Amino acid sequence: MAMLLNDLRERLLRAGVAPASVRLYLAELADHLADLTEDERQAGRGRAEADAAALFRLGEADGLAKAMIERRQFQAWSARAPWAIFGLSPLVLLAGAYLGAGLILWSGWKMFLSGADTPFVPIHGPAVVYFGLGKLAYFGAPLLIGWAIGLIAARQRSNAAWPMVGLIPVALIAGAVQVHAVRSPPAGAAYRVWMDVPLAGMAGALLHSVEIFLITATPYVIWRLARARLPDRPAA
Amino acid sequence: MATRETNPHFMNGVPELLILRLLHQDEMYGYEIVQAIQSRTGAVITVGEGVVYPVLHGLKRDGALSSRRKTVNGRTRIYYCVTPAGSHRLADLAATWSTLTAAIKGMLTGGPNGDAVKRPA
Repeated sequence: MAMLLNDLRERLLRAGVAPASVRLYLAELADHLADLTEDERQAGRGRAEADAAALFRLGEADGLAKAMIERRQFQAWSARAPWAIFGLSPLVLLAGAYLGAGLILWSGWKMFLSGADTPFVPIHGPAVVYFGLGKLAYFGAPLLIGWAIGLIAARQRSNAAWPMVGLIPVALIAGAVQVHAVRSPPAGAAYRVWMDVPLAGMAGALLHSVEIFLITATPYVIWRLARARLPDRPAA
Repeated sequence: MATRETNPHFMNGVPELLILRLLHQDEMYGYEIVQAIQSRTGAVITVGEGVVYPVLHGLKRDGALSSRRKTVNGRTRIYYCVTPAGSHRLADLAATWSTLTAAIKGMLTGGPNGDAVKRPA
């Protein structure tokens, strides 16, 4: 029974069926199999014979998998449009996080440091928490997004190339982008905050990108290596 | 090992119709549904035991069914029942199926424009 369900789980996930749909399907199949076994036992069969008969009645993995796979409504978005999930979404999320971090920096500068020419000065009190949120978004977003990419790819048994489509650009951008904050003269005029990728110091940026890539990709790589060692469960 | 006899080609859309019909009367869980289809069709129609769940999940996703978890004899089961949208779907499917079967019956029995099919001697 466990072998059938494990086999079925792998087939469905690799075929792109959403993990939540797979989980529900397998749970109901396990219940159904228990009912069938009970039915066979009540018909007078021994335990082993009842188990075999119940498995036969439930159907073969091919048929059970096909019934789910051919219904497109159960397909996960990471299988329907992997370029969007692994390629586009991480960049949009990263841009959103950077925009949020920039807004926090800009508004915090106006609220807590209105007399200062730069927000990059020692801060105290509630400003620490406020600016801390911005820092969390700025430094944490690439890591969280990278780990999320790995998690989605692992759950869906995606081809290893897809998570790299997201992890590499996120690491490159996160490693290279720099924040600037300048108060335009005359004093008291506009507070300007922006981000760019300066060409000077690209070697350092690249090193930083490699660090981010390693931190975000390592859990996924470990997962793949661990799976590759399991018998009958090759990595996707 | 022998393969189980189902009705693969003829069954397109039929499990959905039968399930909606059954659940229109009572809430049931998957195993009950398969048994009910077998017993009420005199085992003429056999739905693959495990194949019923993709149909149930699909109908639920379409809003034709709702479900709830219920613990019976220490086991948690998922019971399904028809929603108002499912009732409409059942009525449409039943009408389509009735028209189709009437047309096929007409063909087989000769109808107004043909001869009845006779069993070869």
